[in-house]
Amino acid sequence: MSSLKRSLILFFSSAFLLLLWQVGSVMLDSQILLPGLGPVFSALVELVRQKPFTTNVFSTVVRALESFLIIVASATVIGIAAGRYPLLSLALKPFVTVLKAIPVMSIILLAFIWFTSGTVPLFSAFLMGFPVMYVQIEGGVRQKDRLLDEMCRLYDIHGKDKLIHYTIPSLLPFFVIGSRATLSMVWKVVIAAEVLTVPRFGVGSRMQLAQVQLETDQVLSWTLIAILLTALGDLLFDSLAWSLRKLKKHVDARRVECSSKG
Amino acid sequence: MQFQRISKAYGQNCIFDEFSLEITKRTILSVVGPSGEGKTTLLQIAAGLIQPDSGIVIKEVEEEGSISYLFQEPRLLPFSTVFTNVELALRSFLSNKKEREESALHYLRMVGLADSMGLYPDQLSGGMRQRVAIARAFAHPSKLMLLDEPFQSLDIKLKVTLVNSFLRLWEESPRTTLFVTHDPKEAILLGDAVCCLGDPKKPLLYQQIHIPRNARNIGDQTLLALEASLVQTLVGA
Repeated sequence: MSSLKRSLILFFSSAFLLLLWQVGSVMLDSQILLPGLGPVFSALVELVRQKPFTTNVFSTVVRALESFLIIVASATVIGIAAGRYPLLSLALKPFVTVLKAIPVMSIILLAFIWFTSGTVPLFSAFLMGFPVMYVQIEGGVRQKDRLLDEMCRLYDIHGKDKLIHYTIPSLLPFFVIGSRATLSMVWKVVIAAEVLTVPRFGVGSRMQLAQVQLETDQVLSWTLIAILLTALGDLLFDSLAWSLRKLKKHVDARRVECSSKG
Repeated sequence: MQFQRISKAYGQNCIFDEFSLEITKRTILSVVGPSGEGKTTLLQIAAGLIQPDSGIVIKEVEEEGSISYLFQEPRLLPFSTVFTNVELALRSFLSNKKEREESALHYLRMVGLADSMGLYPDQLSGGMRQRVAIARAFAHPSKLMLLDEPFQSLDIKLKVTLVNSFLRLWEESPRTTLFVTHDPKEAILLGDAVCCLGDPKKPLLYQQIHIPRNARNIGDQTLLALEASLVQTLVGA
């Protein structure tokens, strides 16, 4: 599909969504139930202008990134080990199954009993995001091509060479998919935990306060900000993956050019 | 290289039962046989990928060490260029980068892929990929070469091109070679000797071919007779 066609489809489906919102607002005719586009965007502009806006967004971003980095590092290491050693995978299975099945709210409420309000989002996001990343990495290691492994063994491709030219590139798609899904999950859980625990600063705290005061336009404005953060995260990932692919192709082309010139 | 009284069974299915076979140093032995009669098992035992239940494989001093294995499929690293795929097979043996690159380049030229060395496997046709695999097999400084039907399921024109590429490289650097194939014609054109599997205890047929490889013509009476007896043995197996 051409990029113009793609952009047009995306534009029209987004416009349709906004239209649905506006139609719903007109039909309900209530600023508390569903304010229209105009009041929500005015509230959004007003929020952005206020001083604590940056602190609120920054606090949520820091919590999300902290959890995300901890998840990525730990789930990658443990996922690789579990992929390689079936016994470890089996031993971890009950933990992963429980984490996948447990409701987000249960984790947040329990964490709120055990920790302070600032730690709850971090802890909850870790428990919810870890299995997402772990399952991808473990699956990636397990799905490594047995035939290519055999080829590497016969052609004496070991250690660093095998890692750079085979292991990492074959795991990378699983890593990117896992990271993207984890980051989306982390935003949702961090904000949900902030809503319930109301730390001093945070997007979720602001949502909760707006909801208590029945300021639906502000609740929706903060929701839009949360959506924007998730979209920016996705965009960042796509750009990073694209840049890495481009860099690798450039390095490969340069190597071949140098070798052919002798 | 000698397989001495090797036995191998998968469950109740006995593939080899005290089977012996010898391959003369720096020659090609073509092995034909019906499916499931142990052609690939023989290669895997030679490569050390599986162990026989009993018996031994004896290699001469100059056949010890690394092995080049041409598989049915090219098995190229999908994220590396044609050049890197070949050059990687040299890294454990040549520490000098320049020598390594020159060697990889030499083999890629020999298979006619010098212009495609910056491409990735998914940008190549099936025949080109198999030529990269041939270049890699010869670039790898091995003493023993094992071929597991690398020319199967290719059209006749491509098959001839690949066989010629293979022979050109082999004549330049002859190594003890075990060539497994379904095709009696291929077996006769490439082998210094032909052997037919089908009996777990001994080869059903073993025949030396004395006509020089470059003088072989499949229309030649001797070769036609050999092909006919191979086909007859295969049908009767």
